[in-house]
Amino acid sequence: MSLLQEERNIILNNEYVDNFDFAEVEEFVKNASKDLFISYNFKTKDKMLVQPRGGFPTYDKMFALYEFFDKANVDVLPCTIDSNTRLNDYATAKKMLRLSEENEVDMLNGYPLINHGYRTSRKMMTHFNKPISLRHGTPDARLLIETAIASGIFEIEGGPITYLLPYSKNFPLDKAFLYWKYVERVCAEYSKLNEPINRESFGPLTATLVPPCITIVIQLLEMLLSLEEGVKSFSVSFSQTGSMNQDIVMGAVLRKLAKHYSEEIGVTDADIHLVYHQWMGAFPMDQNYASQLINMSTVIAAMVGANKIITKTKQEASGIPTKEANAETVANTQYTLRILNGLPNIVDKEEEEILTAEVMAIMEAVFNDPADTLWRKVFNSIKNGTIDVPFSPHIINNNEMITVRDRNKNIRIIKRGKVPIPDRCFEYEKNQCDLNKDTTSIVNDIIHDIGIMQ
Amino acid sequence: MSKLENKLLIDVGSTYFKLCTKDSVQQHFRDFNKDIYDDLTYKCGEIIKNYEKENIHICSSANGGLSTLIIGISNSFSLKYATNIAFNSGINIIDTVLYKDIETTSIPSDLIDVVIVVGGIDSVSNIFDEKLFKFLKELNYSNIVYVGSKKDAPYLQKNIENLVILPNIINDKLHVEEENLKEYLTNLYQADIMGKEDIKHLYDITSNQIFSTPYIVNKTLPMIDSKFKVADPYILIDIGGATTDIHYSKDLVDENMVTQNEYDRLVFKKLGVYKSKESLIFAAKNNEFVYELLAHLKVTENIFDESSEKSTRVLMQLAIFLVLCKVSAYRQAYVNLKLLALNSVVFTGGITKVLKQEEIEDIVTFFYKKILNSSHNPTIVMDNNYDVWTLGMLEK
Repeated sequence: MSLLQEERNIILNNEYVDNFDFAEVEEFVKNASKDLFISYNFKTKDKMLVQPRGGFPTYDKMFALYEFFDKANVDVLPCTIDSNTRLNDYATAKKMLRLSEENEVDMLNGYPLINHGYRTSRKMMTHFNKPISLRHGTPDARLLIETAIASGIFEIEGGPITYLLPYSKNFPLDKAFLYWKYVERVCAEYSKLNEPINRESFGPLTATLVPPCITIVIQLLEMLLSLEEGVKSFSVSFSQTGSMNQDIVMGAVLRKLAKHYSEEIGVTDADIHLVYHQWMGAFPMDQNYASQLINMSTVIAAMVGANKIITKTKQEASGIPTKEANAETVANTQYTLRILNGLPNIVDKEEEEILTAEVMAIMEAVFNDPADTLWRKVFNSIKNGTIDVPFSPHIINNNEMITVRDRNKNIRIIKRGKVPIPDRCFEYEKNQCDLNKDTTSIVNDIIHDIGIMQ
Repeated sequence: MSKLENKLLIDVGSTYFKLCTKDSVQQHFRDFNKDIYDDLTYKCGEIIKNYEKENIHICSSANGGLSTLIIGISNSFSLKYATNIAFNSGINIIDTVLYKDIETTSIPSDLIDVVIVVGGIDSVSNIFDEKLFKFLKELNYSNIVYVGSKKDAPYLQKNIENLVILPNIINDKLHVEEENLKEYLTNLYQADIMGKEDIKHLYDITSNQIFSTPYIVNKTLPMIDSKFKVADPYILIDIGGATTDIHYSKDLVDENMVTQNEYDRLVFKKLGVYKSKESLIFAAKNNEFVYELLAHLKVTENIFDESSEKSTRVLMQLAIFLVLCKVSAYRQAYVNLKLLALNSVVFTGGITKVLKQEEIEDIVTFFYKKILNSSHNPTIVMDNNYDVWTLGMLEK
C-alpha cells in the first residue's frame, strides 16, 4: 500500500465519517456526468462561467439555494463551508447543525459537509448536473476534500499560502504545505478516472492593497505546487484591484507567466484558467451603488478575458446574502455578459513589462533558495520576506512591504521590505506616487483606502 | 537499513541501554550499582569491539539532562520562547521565574546548570535592576546566559560575573530567534556529558558527538511516515524511567511560534515509572478520574504499594492517562494540545516493551471518553523496535 493510501486510511478513519468506501467512490467518480466537472465546462462552454458564493447549514436550505441559482441560469454552483468545519471542529459543527435543523435558525455560516456526509450530500450535488466549486479556507483540508470529491464536488479552491496567510495567525505554514500536498495528490489520482478535478487558487489574499506582483507570484507558486503533484486542470485567480488598467495588465501577465512557468517545469498537458473575483474589499452600504460596483466588475472581467467570474451581492455590506439576492446577481451578471460586445483590446506595454520583471525577479529568488523541494523553497521565501503579503495577520509574514494607491488608483509599492523588486521597477512604482506627503498623511491614505468603494 | 552498514548505534537511557546494529536491536536493563561505561562494556563489550570509534554513534538521556532556570519578563513572550527553545534543545528540567515576582519567589536550593535571563525587544532598556542581582547572588548555578534586549546587555555584563551574552531571542516583530540559544544549550549539554564522570568515558568508544536523545527524536519526526503508518497531526509519547516526553505537531496548539521545527517538545519530569515512580503515584492520587481508571483496569489502589510486573504495567497505563490529561484542556499547562484533531499517537521508549497495543488503545479510549467526552479514535502506533531513535541517529 502506498504511503498516500496509508495516510488516507487514517484520515478517513474519523469518528465523523461513516465508513468511507474507497472503491465505491472511485466507481462514482469514474462514471460521474462530465457536466459535473468544471474542467469539462471550461473546455466546452464558449463563455465566461458565472459562479456565486453561498452556503447554508441544512440540507433543505442548501437545496433551495441551488434551486434559485439554477433558475437564475448559474454556470457553477458554490458550496461554501462553515467556519467550524474549516477549523476541523466537526463536533461543534454537528451541534450547530442540529440546532439549525431544530430551530430553523442558521447557526452556521456555511454547509457542514463532513457532518452531512458524502452519501447524503451526493444526492444534492449531482441533482442539478452542474459543476460545484468547494469554497472553504481550511489549512488542513484533507478530510474535507475527500468528502467533497466523494460527494460530486470536482472543483477545489484554496492552497497552502492563499488559504493560510489571509485567514490564520498561528497555523504552521510548513504543515499547511504538507496537508495541501495530500490534497493535490488526491485530486491528481481522481483526475485519472474521468475529466480532471480542477484546483483553483485564491488570488484575492487579504484583498487589501496587495500589489499585483505578489498576487501573481503566489498564484504561480500554488499552480506549480499543484502541477508537480500531477493536477491537470488549474485556475489562477485575482480580484478587482480598483484600477481597471491594473486589472487588465495583471490578467495579461498572469496568463502569460502561468504558461511560461508550467512549461519551465515540463508540464505542457495541463489546462490553466483565469478566474476573476468581483470586488473583495469593503462594499458600499447603499445597495444601488453595490449593484453598480458588481456590474463594473463584470465589465472588467470581460476586458481581462476571464474564464470564470465569482460574484458578490448587493447585500455584501450588511451580512450573509439571501438566496434571492444571490440569484439576482447571477442573473444580472449573465445579462451584462450577454450584452457586452465589441470590447476593445487594451494593452499597456510599459506596465506589463514592469510587472513581468518584478514577478520574474521574485520567482528567481524563490527558485534560488537552497532547499531541496519547491514547497520548502516557497516556505523559506515567505519566512525570510522574499514574499510579503500586505496586511496578512499570520505570524510568519514579514509585513515590511508598504503599498499605496497612485492618482489613477493603481496599487504601488513604496517600501519593498525584503522583496527583491528590481531597482528600476521600484523607482517606477515610487515615481507614480506623491511621496512628498508626510508619513501621517500616507498612513491616513492607507486607512481610508479601506472605504475606497463607499 | 543500508545506512546502518558498519555502524553501531547506542542509546543510553536512565533505565536501559539500547544497541542497534544492521542485524538487530537489543536492550539491556541497567545496573545502577555500576558506572555507565563499565556496565555497558560488561554487557555489550563483545559487540562494541567489532566497531571502529568513528562508526559508533551514541545518544544519551541518562545524565538527567541539564537543569535550567529561566528568568523572563512575560509569560507570553520571553518565558514562552526560552522554554520552547530549551525543551527543543534537549533540556529536561525547567523552572521559570516571572521577573515581576522575583522578590517573592523562593530560591531553588538545587544546583542549577544554566540560568537564562531574557526579556524585551532590542529597542527597550532598563528592564532589569538590582532585584535580579540580589536573586542571582543567592542562587547556586554553574552557567548564566543573557538573551534579552541588547541595550541592557552592557549593564548586566558589568554586574553579573561570567555572563554569556547572545543575540536576543525576541526580534522586533516579537518573533522567536532560536538558533543561537539552541546552539549554546546543545553545546552545554555536550560539555555536561564530557564533565560527568558517569558519561565521559563513553568517549573512549566513540569519536562522534554524543547528542541528547530527545534532540535526536525531534529530528526524526518529519521522516516518521517512512517507517510507520502515521498521519499528521500526531503526538509522540516517550515514557521512560525518569521522565515522559511528548513531541507534538505544531498545528495542535493555537499559540504557535515560527521556528525551524515542525514539532515541539514538552517534558514532564515527574512522570516516569522507575526513577520518578513516587511522583507519578502522587500525581495519580490527585487526579479525580484515576480511581475510575483503576476500576476499569480491575485493580485497586493497593497496586501503588506493590512492586511487581503487574504494578509496572498499571503505572505505565496511568502515565499515559496522566500525560494526556496534562496536555488537554482539562489541565491548564504550558500548552494545551487540540487532542480532538489528533490522527495518530506514537508510543516509544520502554513502554512499548511492557504494554500491548490493545492495552494502550484501551487507555487512550478511556481518556477521550472520560476527559474529552468524545469517541475520537486516533490510530495508536507502537515503536516496538526503537525505529524512531534509529532514524534520527542515522540522519545526524
